[in-house]
Amino acid sequence: DEIGLIPCPEARYNRSPIVLVENKLGVESWCVKFLLPYVHNRLLLYRQRKQWLNKDELIDITCTLLLLNPDFTTAWNVRKELILSGTLNPLKDLHLGKLALTKFPKSPETWIHRRWVLQQLIQENSLPSLATKGNLGAAPMERIHRLVQEEMNVCSEAAGRYPSNYNAWSHRIWVLQHLAKLTVKVLLDELSSTKYWVSMHVSDHSGFHYRQFLLNSLIRRTVTDSNILVQNRMVNEQNPSLQKGEESAGTEAACAEEQSVDLPRHLEEEMELCSELIDNYPGHETLWCHSDETLNNSHHSPAASPMAQAMDVDGLNESSSKQGYTQETKRLKRAPVQDSLGPEMEYRFVDKVLSTCRDVDQARFATAYRKWLVTFLGQ
Amino acid sequence: MHVGGEVDVRSAYCAASVASLTNIMTPTLFAGTAEWIARCQNWEGGIGGVPGMEAHGGYTFCGVAALVILKQEHLLNLRSLLHWVTGRQMRFEGGFQGRCNKLVDGCYSFWQAGLLPLLHRALHARGDPALSMAHWMFDQLALQEYILLCCQCPAGGLLDKPGKSRDFYHTCYCLSGLAIAQHFGSGDLHNEVVLGIPENCLQATHPVYNIAPEKVARAVMHFLQYPVPSLDPA
Repeated sequence: DEIGLIPCPEARYNRSPIVLVENKLGVESWCVKFLLPYVHNRLLLYRQRKQWLNKDELIDITCTLLLLNPDFTTAWNVRKELILSGTLNPLKDLHLGKLALTKFPKSPETWIHRRWVLQQLIQENSLPSLATKGNLGAAPMERIHRLVQEEMNVCSEAAGRYPSNYNAWSHRIWVLQHLAKLTVKVLLDELSSTKYWVSMHVSDHSGFHYRQFLLNSLIRRTVTDSNILVQNRMVNEQNPSLQKGEESAGTEAACAEEQSVDLPRHLEEEMELCSELIDNYPGHETLWCHSDETLNNSHHSPAASPMAQAMDVDGLNESSSKQGYTQETKRLKRAPVQDSLGPEMEYRFVDKVLSTCRDVDQARFATAYRKWLVTFLGQ
Repeated sequence: MHVGGEVDVRSAYCAASVASLTNIMTPTLFAGTAEWIARCQNWEGGIGGVPGMEAHGGYTFCGVAALVILKQEHLLNLRSLLHWVTGRQMRFEGGFQGRCNKLVDGCYSFWQAGLLPLLHRALHARGDPALSMAHWMFDQLALQEYILLCCQCPAGGLLDKPGKSRDFYHTCYCLSGLAIAQHFGSGDLHNEVVLGIPENCLQATHPVYNIAPEKVARAVMHFLQYPVPSLDPA
């Protein structure tokens, strides 16, 4: 379940350089300079059609290559061909990738190939012949759910192995968008399961960005769902004789459930988390950024001002991707400000930090935050 | 980036760069591209690899430069972008970081600092009276200090930060960043700001294509002689 290089500049004993201990694979470093060029060359000769390799050899060689250098695109591409021709089980590549990531947690090509494999699996999943495939032997929804959970694990591990692992967190977002379809359940689950992790990695901007992504997606979801509800009601009012299909009833039920997402509470919890971390770990710019943006969201999200939902929809959709430090006075005037988060609370918090902190950076961030509060809240 | 490969903002820049220099831009080639790039700008103000991703110096440069080529910079929130990129210059080191709360890296001397000439131009086109006529909106001398004092390998070549080894990528982008930091504007408005001896001064680089401005002019002139190829079979 893990691979690594054992620093061993010379072959001391006449024995294999492969070491397997408790399910962890090690390779003594002296052999790499012989092994890598050898397998690399064999693959290139195959590609140039100068030397044939059968399917099993290809699988072995590419596997070896990728564990030594997972950014070797050609090797991944050979495996793509094997998968497309039905000779290689795509799940094997998910496992290979996972292994490679234990040593190379950033490897861009590994993540890219992983997304290709997942896309193949999604397509397979939508085919009715799935029942006969017997790959996982489970119902399609459950299969997807398991894949998603596994991906969350892989991302989490990789994120822990390299600080601010952009590729790992980007992949995590991609999986939610394309496999999990950004359902409220998965968003909330992820929010709670990453809470501990980010508290242990307070400088990990990517981790906190992920939480912003989750919160933003929840906001957008709430808006869309309330639109669907409104539309459904309008349709039903106009056509009372129209039988509610299973689908629309299902959507309504889902919407009703999702309408109960207490967005203000989640945003408030996020602010509390931020404040707590800022207090405990002075001087981390990421935490202040996160605080800014969460506050921004809580004042501008329609969930914070339920009466203004219909009006805010367009504004939010168009500007949500460009939220930042700029004041957007139109929006400020339009949405009634909910005081559930209390600007006074934020002022008190910042002033407390300023008066008690001894870290220079913390003081600087706090001062900037206070200036921002003044302009932003206009008070 | 290639057939069957990943999709991100870099390929938009590569395509726009190549197409504009070789005069093969057709109306349909970049249909929707500018809007897609704009969606890559996020709440931080910078631009990510694809919509939804974290803001990142490399991707931000690619996105903005592509939009400049497509003449659609106004689709971005330029103020939040300016706020984000200026926040990426490190107050102690003088160099730039790629993302919030990360370490300085010599290559961002180009990816990040290179955004300021592009922003300057875009804001100037809007007639912003507060724009300087002599300096970019970042500390040009501090960046030069970082590059010259911290990013040089004694054996030649440049690098990410002290302790790292040299490579061509960092050599290229440290030098490109140095050129950006030394030269403001062009033509009548050209202002040189050179740290150290005059011999430190590099040739200016084109802020969009990162090749010599004369080369850009020559390429464009050359390819304008040929008609835009059409996709219809002959």
